[in-house]
Amino acid sequence: MSNRELSLSIRSMKILTKRELLSSLYGWGIYGAMFVSFLVSSFIIRNFLKGIGENNIFISSYPLNFPLFISVIVISLYLVIVSAVSISREREQGTLEVLFYGPVSSSSFLLGKYFTDMILYFIITGFSLIYFFGVSLLTNLGFTPILLKAYLLSIFIASCVISFGLFISSLTGRVRSSIIWIIGILIAFLVIWFLQNIFLYFPPEVLSPPLRYVQKALSVAYYFINWISPFSYLSRGMESIQLGSPKPFLLNILYSIIYTVVLLSLSVYILKAKGVRI
Amino acid sequence: MIHTKNLTKEYDGFRAVDNLNLKVEKGQIYGFLGPNGAGKTTTILMLLGILKPTEGEIYIMGESLSKNPLDIKRRIGVVSEKQYLYKDMTAWEYLNFFADLYGVKNKEKRIDELLSAVNLIDVKDRKLGAFSRGMQQKLGFTRALLHDPDLLLLDEPVSGLDPTGIKQIRDLIEKENKKGRTVFISSHLLSEVEKLCSKVAIINKGKLLAEDSMDNLRRKLTDFVQIEVELTEVSKDILDTLRAFDFIKEIHQEKNVLTLKVTTDKDHRADISKAIAQKGGVVLGIKTLGMSLEEAFITITQKNISLLAAS
Repeated sequence: MSNRELSLSIRSMKILTKRELLSSLYGWGIYGAMFVSFLVSSFIIRNFLKGIGENNIFISSYPLNFPLFISVIVISLYLVIVSAVSISREREQGTLEVLFYGPVSSSSFLLGKYFTDMILYFIITGFSLIYFFGVSLLTNLGFTPILLKAYLLSIFIASCVISFGLFISSLTGRVRSSIIWIIGILIAFLVIWFLQNIFLYFPPEVLSPPLRYVQKALSVAYYFINWISPFSYLSRGMESIQLGSPKPFLLNILYSIIYTVVLLSLSVYILKAKGVRI
Repeated sequence: MIHTKNLTKEYDGFRAVDNLNLKVEKGQIYGFLGPNGAGKTTTILMLLGILKPTEGEIYIMGESLSKNPLDIKRRIGVVSEKQYLYKDMTAWEYLNFFADLYGVKNKEKRIDELLSAVNLIDVKDRKLGAFSRGMQQKLGFTRALLHDPDLLLLDEPVSGLDPTGIKQIRDLIEKENKKGRTVFISSHLLSEVEKLCSKVAIINKGKLLAEDSMDNLRRKLTDFVQIEVELTEVSKDILDTLRAFDFIKEIHQEKNVLTLKVTTDKDHRADISKAIAQKGGVVLGIKTLGMSLEEAFITITQKNISLLAAS
């Protein structure tokens, strides 16, 4: 790619990001997602406080980590849906084709969407920091450096979630099918995780041969889900924070970056191959 | 301006476009015609870099589209049959967004200027969701002209417009062409194409069958053409002189109007006028009653006649 083409690509990416961002900020979705995430976190914190009130004791090194973890899950669900419909919506409306009449390439379009959702996450993180800092001041639950570490990690998790959504969106031509696909995949992940956990209670020798086969198949599927599902990176990351060791924490960040790059590259390739029309 | 070399697009073994060699010169209004499924849209999508050709090369403004797609597309204005709009935006916001995308300078002035030209200035703050089909089409035209493109690529540009709207767009195309812009039009409205285009290409089943000026197409398709001459007075001398010409096969007279059936080997109007003047006649009007573009289109596409070998 020549310098001229690169500069055109970067400029169009910036303009697409600006438009998308303004459109999202004028919508209600981001505020709704923040409200729900803070509501859920508040509910968990209220239960903590209730427990402290009843038992006069609450032992936790990082009391706000769990509410933050749940808050990130809620926000991630919002981001995965938003990113999953972002390309298919433009494809369905035909606006993708009009954009591609001009100086817009598949990569600039896709990166425009990616950066929009990342900026949205940064905005949400800003509000979240204010919320948890406020909660800490009001309740004396510790706003620790570990919490900031969790925030840092959540940025990379958001990146995984967004690239996963964009990948699904690049594969689909309609908003409805994007939503069905994303919900279907997440439910499938949950079901496999749930069944795998149930089977863990049974040693293989007590299971009949067909069930042993199912157990093995589930364990293979679970292994792959650990790398495919963006939410696995969240749970692994939170575990690494609890462990307090920097190596798993940094490794998790590195895996998240690789995951993002791979999925975004695949999305660009699919967008080029599938074209702009349904 | 546009040059395609053996442009081919295959879908699962089916050749939608087959070795297409188009040549559009700078400043031309070029009509691109063909029946449904002929490969017009596929060709246009390849010219826009949206579809990748299976074989062949596209050169636009002398540059290879595969090498500099973004820089070339920045200099093209496109109007498609259907306008795909961001319905939550107003007309002004929509144009402002595209002005940013194309890097338009003095964008506010340019947007207002173009909206005035298509009579949409009064609705510039209206949401696009409330725009009629005709208004959407005009807005699409405005978007295409926003960045002052060197080449206008129009796919059914007057589709869905009422006669006034069609005239407005036709006038706009002519005005833009006079400014030096090359215009490439694909349309089913052959009468519009005939009025506007200096050159037409006809494709069928993915293959180019003809590419020429309207006059040359007529000449190639028929052996004779009718020329109608209106005179102040028709004398026997004039009739005898005209009958003496080899290229005039028949003469029909109705009062002071002569209808001559002449061969199509060349344009004979000057010879006829001169001969009449030499015999003291005064020519009030002379016109060729040739084949319409519609007749030419039907003849070429139904019989799948290739006129390329003769050109």
